[in-house]
Order: sequence, then structure tokens, then C-alpha cells
Amino acid sequence: MDDGRRRFEAQVLPHLDAAYRFARWLSRSPSDAEDVVQEAVLRAFRGFDGLRGNDAKAWLLTIVKNCHFTALKQQQRRAFVPLPEEHDLPDGDAMIATTPDPESSSIRRDEERTLQQLLSALPEEQREVLVLREIEELDYRQIAAIANIPIGTVMSRLARARAALKARWSEKAGGDPRAVR
Amino acid sequence: MQCAELLRLQAYFDGELDALSAAEIERHTEVCAECRALLKDLEQTRAALRHDLPHAGAPPALRARIMRSLDQETAIQSPRGDGGRRTRWPQPFWRGVFSGVGGAAIAAGMAFFLLAPSLTNPLLDDLVSAHVRSLMPDHLIDVVSTDKHTVKPWFAGHTDVSPVVADFDQQGYRLIGGRADYFDRQRAAVVVYQHGSHVINVFSWAADQHGVPSNTTRNGYHMAFWKAGDLVYCAVSDTGWDELLGLVRLLQELATRDAR
Repeated sequence: MDDGRRRFEAQVLPHLDAAYRFARWLSRSPSDAEDVVQEAVLRAFRGFDGLRGNDAKAWLLTIVKNCHFTALKQQQRRAFVPLPEEHDLPDGDAMIATTPDPESSSIRRDEERTLQQLLSALPEEQREVLVLREIEELDYRQIAAIANIPIGTVMSRLARARAALKARWSEKAGGDPRAVR
Repeated sequence: MQCAELLRLQAYFDGELDALSAAEIERHTEVCAECRALLKDLEQTRAALRHDLPHAGAPPALRARIMRSLDQETAIQSPRGDGGRRTRWPQPFWRGVFSGVGGAAIAAGMAFFLLAPSLTNPLLDDLVSAHVRSLMPDHLIDVVSTDKHTVKPWFAGHTDVSPVVADFDQQGYRLIGGRADYFDRQRAAVVVYQHGSHVINVFSWAADQHGVPSNTTRNGYHMAFWKAGDLVYCAVSDTGWDELLGLVRLLQELATRDAR
């Protein structure tokens, strides 16, 4: 095994779990998340020389986020732009991708009251900063880099996300947040 | 409480304040019940998110898939990196060869034969790499179409060349779309065909003085080269040679007809 590969495995792969967790919060389904992570790791490997310093975690999560966006754009393009030669397909075939996959809708039905569901219901930009801060335990500077926003925006967005989660949480628990736990 | 104050309290909670400001906040929370309550909320939210959520790591199957794709990538990046892994000769063969006096010379000749293509032509590696990359999720096709009148004009806006495009569904090679790829310092056009369950990528780029490489096999992928007009074509696939050359023949015939 060559030296670059060894260094990559030592520095970047320890953050694979974090990459997957982050992708799960961004993506609609586990299989989307897996594809995003696989693509991200491959891109990270190709661009490994571009990693400056030793913040491999924030660097990998940034790539995960970019891959997620690329995948999302492709899905949207596929879902909404009818191509001329698809006219001869049976009706509805071209529309399959627009409905959420059965797995995620069943999760939505079954676990309506869980914290996970509350977090999923937050706007994506709020969920992102909250997950990076509370679950991945990154600092403001790292979050700013990944979300590609100024630190001031990280702070206000984080405050909004926390307030929103708290409010929905209290709502579900009938006014007492402690009742949920 | 003022918004700026709330953000400062939050920054304190997140450990982002310097020691002096942190001490200030601590003094303040001793006397301010509202801030103490807010801090408690922040702590509860954090505790819930960290302890009550399922935090699954990457599934083992994904990890394995990633390691395989890294292996593949490593093989593409440094095809000469590990001779023992790449060449399919069993060990005893090498030992036998090296035991003889003339063995070293033969081995040197063999090594040159095995290594020469990648030393002289990085293009081959680029092509295999592009083919493998195209098989990753979502990379195969930029313009999805079985209609050459859709694919061909698309290339005009996205690549530097205008290759022959046709659907050979009748002959078993279905046109499924096109893609732009960048290598050898130009925007190459890639026409994608499906043959049975195999994907065949047909790359095309402007010919230069280097001429046309000869047909070869890299990492198990066959590569057929030919020149038509001022373009060089390369068909890459994991099909057999016969199937691959079948498509090459059809494309060559078409180019000849077009030229007349």
C-alpha cells in the first residue's frame, strides 16, 4: 500500500462514522447517504493533497456536504425535467423520483413523537448547524467552513435552531420538556 | 434579554468565549435567573441530542464498499505501485525466472513490456479512470437520450468535439446517452452505450501528433482505439473483445458513410 493511501486511512477514515451520520441528517434515505459518503470519500482521496493542516474531520464533512448538494441537484433534475424520449414510457414512470421513498415515509409515520423526528423537521440549514455543533461537537469556525457562512451567521442560526427545537419539543410534550426524557 | 446577549450566552455555553468574557458571564448568571434558565435549556437540549438519539456509525457494508473503491482508485493512480499485486504471474514463476542466468534479462524485458504502456502513455490510465468513475452512482450520463439528434447537438455546447453518434439497438448496442469528460487538456465527448448488462463508454477527442494508441487491456477493461476524421476514439468496457469490436466496426462504418 502506498504512503498516500496509508496517510489517508490514518487521517481521514477515522471520521467515516461522522461523515455517515452527517450525510444521514442531510439525505432523505440511508441509501442516498451511503452513495453520498462513498462519493465524498473518493473525492477526498483524490484531493487529499489539498488538505492543509490537520482538521481532517471538518474537511471531510465539507466534501460530504458538497456531494450531497450535487446529488440533490441531480435528483431534482431527474425528477422534474421530462426528457423528450420519455413520452413513450408508461405514465408515471418519470415521476417516481418525486415521491419520498417508502422507508422515509414509514419512519415519519412510526416515530412521529421522537426527538429524531423533531430534529428532522427543522429547516435544513438549522438542522445542519445544530447537528455539527451538538452531535459532531465542532466549533463555530469549523461549522462556518462547512456550512460556508460567516461565524456570526453560525451563531444566529444555531440560536434559532436551538430555540425552534426547544419550542417543538415542549409542544409535543404538552408544555413540559422534561416529560419527553 | 437582548439578542446580542443571548448570542454571547450561547457562545459561553459552546466554549467559544475568552476567559475574561466567560468570567463576566458567570458573574452575571449568578444574579440573573433568566440567563440561568436559558443555560439550563441549552444543557437539556444538548444532553438529549447527544444521548437520546441513535448515533449509528457507517454500516460495515458501506465501509467495505469504500475500501474497495479506494483499492480501485489506488490501482488507477499508481498502476506500477505494486508489481506483485498487478501482475497475474504466480510467485513460483518469478522465482524460477530469477534463478536462471538469463532470467534477469528476460525479467527486465518482461518488466519493460508490462510497464511501458503506463510510462509512455498516461492517457490510457486517464481513460480507464474516467470509465471507472462513470460507473459510480450518478456519473454515467449528463444527457440521457436514445436519440442521436438529442445527444449530438448537446456535445456542441459542452465539449470541444463532435463525434459520430448513432443508436445501434438493432445490433445490440443501445445508445443511452452522452457525457462531457475532461482529460488530456480538452473537453472530450463520451457517448454511452449499453450492451446486455455492460456499459461501453466511447470517448472521442481531437487527434494530436501522438497518433493512435494500440488496443490494450487495463485493470481488466478492454480499450479499443481508432481514428476517424480528425478525432481519436476509444471504446472502453468490461465486455469481451468481440462485443467491443462489434461496436467499433459499426461506428467506423458510420464514420466512413458520413465522410462520403
